Amino acid sequence: MLTALFAIAVSALLAPALSARMDDRAGWFLALAPLGAFAWFVSCIPTVAVGGVVTESIAWVPALGIDVAMRLDGLSLLFALLITGIGTLIVLYAGAYLSDHHHLGRFYAYLLVFMMAMLGLVLADDLIAMFVFWELTSVASFLLIAFQHEKSVSRRAALQALLITGGGGLALLAGLVLLGIAGEAWRFSELDVAAVEAHGLYYGIMVLVLIGCFTKSAQIPFHLWLPNAMNAPTPVSAYLHSATMVKAGVYLLARLNPVMGGEGGWSDVLVLVGASTAVVGAVLAIRQTDLKRLLAYTTVTVLGQLTMLIGTNTTYGLQAFVLFLLAHSLYKGALFMAVGAVDHATGTRELAKLGGLIRFMPLTGAAVALAAFSNAGLPPFFGFIAKEFAYAGLIEMGVTGWIVTAVMVVTNALLLAAAGLVFIRTFLGARGHYPREPHEVPMPMWLGPMLLAIGGFVLGAWHHWPETWLINAAVQAVARGAVDVNLYLWGGVTPAVVASLLTVGLGVLFYGFRHAVRRHIARWRVFWGVSGDLIWDRLLKRLFRFAGMLASGWQHGSLRLHLILLGLVLSSTVFVGLGVGGEPLLGAGAHPAGAVSPLSLPGVVGCLLALAGAGAAAVMRGRLALVTALGASGLGLALFFLAVNAPDVATTQLMVETLTVVFLALVLRKLPSIPGAAPEGRGARATHLLVSVFFGAAVALALIVAVNLPLAGNISEWYLQNSYPGGKGGNVVNVILVDFRAFDTLGEIVVVALAALAAATLLGGGEHTEMTRRGQPEFDSVLLRQAVRPLAGLLVLVSLVLLWRGHNLPGGGFIGGLVAATGFILVVLTFGNYPARALMRLRPTLLVGAGLSCAVGAGLLGLMAGEPFLTGLWIFPLGLPLGTPLLFDMGVFLTVFGSVMHMMQRIAGRAT
Amino acid sequence: MEFLAALTAGGLAGIGMWLLLDRNLIRVVLGVAIMGNAINLGVLTAGRFAGEVAAFVTPAAVPPDAANPLPQALVLTAIVIGFGLFTFALAVLQSVRESHGITTTDRVTEVTEEPAPDVEEVGLQVHQDDADLHHDAGAPR
Repeated sequence: MLTALFAIAVSALLAPALSARMDDRAGWFLALAPLGAFAWFVSCIPTVAVGGVVTESIAWVPALGIDVAMRLDGLSLLFALLITGIGTLIVLYAGAYLSDHHHLGRFYAYLLVFMMAMLGLVLADDLIAMFVFWELTSVASFLLIAFQHEKSVSRRAALQALLITGGGGLALLAGLVLLGIAGEAWRFSELDVAAVEAHGLYYGIMVLVLIGCFTKSAQIPFHLWLPNAMNAPTPVSAYLHSATMVKAGVYLLARLNPVMGGEGGWSDVLVLVGASTAVVGAVLAIRQTDLKRLLAYTTVTVLGQLTMLIGTNTTYGLQAFVLFLLAHSLYKGALFMAVGAVDHATGTRELAKLGGLIRFMPLTGAAVALAAFSNAGLPPFFGFIAKEFAYAGLIEMGVTGWIVTAVMVVTNALLLAAAGLVFIRTFLGARGHYPREPHEVPMPMWLGPMLLAIGGFVLGAWHHWPETWLINAAVQAVARGAVDVNLYLWGGVTPAVVASLLTVGLGVLFYGFRHAVRRHIARWRVFWGVSGDLIWDRLLKRLFRFAGMLASGWQHGSLRLHLILLGLVLSSTVFVGLGVGGEPLLGAGAHPAGAVSPLSLPGVVGCLLALAGAGAAAVMRGRLALVTALGASGLGLALFFLAVNAPDVATTQLMVETLTVVFLALVLRKLPSIPGAAPEGRGARATHLLVSVFFGAAVALALIVAVNLPLAGNISEWYLQNSYPGGKGGNVVNVILVDFRAFDTLGEIVVVALAALAAATLLGGGEHTEMTRRGQPEFDSVLLRQAVRPLAGLLVLVSLVLLWRGHNLPGGGFIGGLVAATGFILVVLTFGNYPARALMRLRPTLLVGAGLSCAVGAGLLGLMAGEPFLTGLWIFPLGLPLGTPLLFDMGVFLTVFGSVMHMMQRIAGRAT
Repeated sequence: MEFLAALTAGGLAGIGMWLLLDRNLIRVVLGVAIMGNAINLGVLTAGRFAGEVAAFVTPAAVPPDAANPLPQALVLTAIVIGFGLFTFALAVLQSVRESHGITTTDRVTEVTEEPAPDVEEVGLQVHQDDADLHHDAGAPR
């Protein structure tokens, strides 16, 4: 079974390529996969017919106990035969029908994907696997309905089908999960019936599952997507929307009938919904003038009848269900394909224009005749037996049964009239008015309808074959207990036969007075006004409007409002957390004595400088003053870092602050002076002040509470102990960066590189960055110009030393790269960016690339030595410690240097 | 020292937020820098300042009272990344100023973006489909 799925999936993948090579002949090859699967399923018939099952399973999500478990019993086999058998004919048919379409290959692919999904759906025993296939059929159906996506009608129909069946799918998923929990198993075959029925959520499960099935099988009020889905090419309508996909819902109802079909009201709901669907479908069908839409509504009717038959849960009802399912798939598939052929040959499907086609299309006509007889339920066709059993099944139910039977007689009579329309009106009588000269269609197009129609006849006339081989096993799978299956064409004068006669009589009457019937139906205009499509459109429009309202309420586009919200939420979370958590704010008692480090003068000065600088930047207006204030703030922070024994961090902060000031000054110089605190209302300013104070207080409080608690764990101690033995370096901070946590650092330098590339792109220029030989006018001093070159050279030397010694002493790639960049920036400021570039000899982007390659290369060396990525490897030539961490640090150096230079070159190119 | 650092970080964060909320883009960019500093200081503070000496070891000995090296390593890279972010913000500031001639936040949205298009467009689409439906009652193929 899995092989069959796999073979069909593979041919779906091959379809576009094959189709491009071989045009419409590709269909013959692609049909091999479903044909092979069909043959395999036929070979399974003897096993299944005597009550055996075939199972296959592969683990899928072993941790959750989900397998792709397949189980072939009577019901699955019946469906599998229909899917693969009709599928083979449809693939051939599609090749001829769409032979001139430029996306035929894509069509084959969608069709085969659908076939695979549908086959999986009916074979799957696992609840979750079944659901995945279920959704896959919805997606495939969406793609197929929207195949002619240039037309807005098709797009709308596809979206409608997807939304309705997809929404139902969601309900179904919830229902299946609940069912699995209630039934204490994740396989259909292992569900515990008693446990499900006794479970408190029984009704919840029932409603959810029913919504899923009703949307898929187009039951009222979800029926409206099915007629619209007829916008798909005819092979799709024949295959998905009559023979297979829409039966998925009915299939699941049948599959769950033994589990859910107890005394809980399941049967009543099915009978009620099914009967209403049947009536509405039949009434709507007779109104149609388009052949294809007419057939679509009859399909809705039949789906309703099938649902109802499951609900009867009587011996005859369930037999009728299986019979009717088979009969309908055969004749409706045939009729759809034939209508497609008529459309193909004449260019129209309007009833008013058709007539007398039998002269031009004898083979198609014969197929339609056979199918229509079966459709009308005339003996000895298979449809007759199905209808007979349906009546018998309903009558068995008692009083409700009689009422429903009456309804059924009328709907069946309408169906008979519809069948008459399809055959008599189209193929007999006077010649119609055709847009083009009719002709018989090519063999692949009449072969399908013919085989299916003949099937309907043969199964009816020699009805002991299907009884023995197919129907019996399928009925047993649907029923709650054993059911005695015995098919017959003539069982004496029973109420069912009377009902049948009545149906035929009424049907003939309806056909004869079809115009009067239509006129009568048309009088109930009130009801046509409430057509589902209009409601649907309005619903969708309101939904979009509501979503738009919701989105624009939150996504208002005001950065400041977002920020205010963020700040408020964050700070109130902290306040609430502290209030609830009840940690002592300044409780020295809870704290191990002496863990708070003493104040030091540099630390206090640093903090004050940082605060004062930032505060000044917040209130001052002059551009130069701003730059100075920001610089002072950064310097204060660097001083503080130094005071708390973090020399590397302090150096980095110092370098970055220097570069920040330079960049800021260059950019601000071109901007207008900052207007004072913006002219906003007092209220807004007060709010901002409040939010800022809240936020600051929250940060301070959270930190105070945090440092008041003892530091958990001893990870730092581990780094200190292992720095030399493991990383061969004395500077623990640097060893962490380039060895222990080098992977993080790799990610970080990638971020730096990307930020630089993005910033440079925003600054513009690209390959044509303005290269200037002029420095900044402020640097135009002879003394300075003479001193800059040696100074820059010195800085570069210093940076290299910092890089080299960084593993053991303050320094490293980050600091080295920043120092080197500072040196070159001096050159840029004094002489312009051209000489600096000439001095570098390489484009900064190349440096960035080289740096990243170095870093990744250092990691790959570890990988090549059979160790994990970025493992440090060391050699000691002449006593010099050389290792991949050094190479990695070089990568960091080059990346940082290149990134800064890249941005500087662009900014300088603009600033002059 | 920890309390002092915590208060400083809080103060910087408050000032940073105040600047970020300003209408002028230049101040917003400054706010990015100051907020970054506040967060770096906060991370370092969270690691405590227990040590007496910097985190350097020798092959022979590991000082018993070394500073906590892990937050230092984190903050070191964070500073450089923060610089990258700051420069990016500067670049945005400059390009907004050059292409739209303004430096106020609210006006940026106005100038660069059209109003949210969803509602109008979808409404139109539905109407369009309605019209199509009426023309050819869902004629397939």
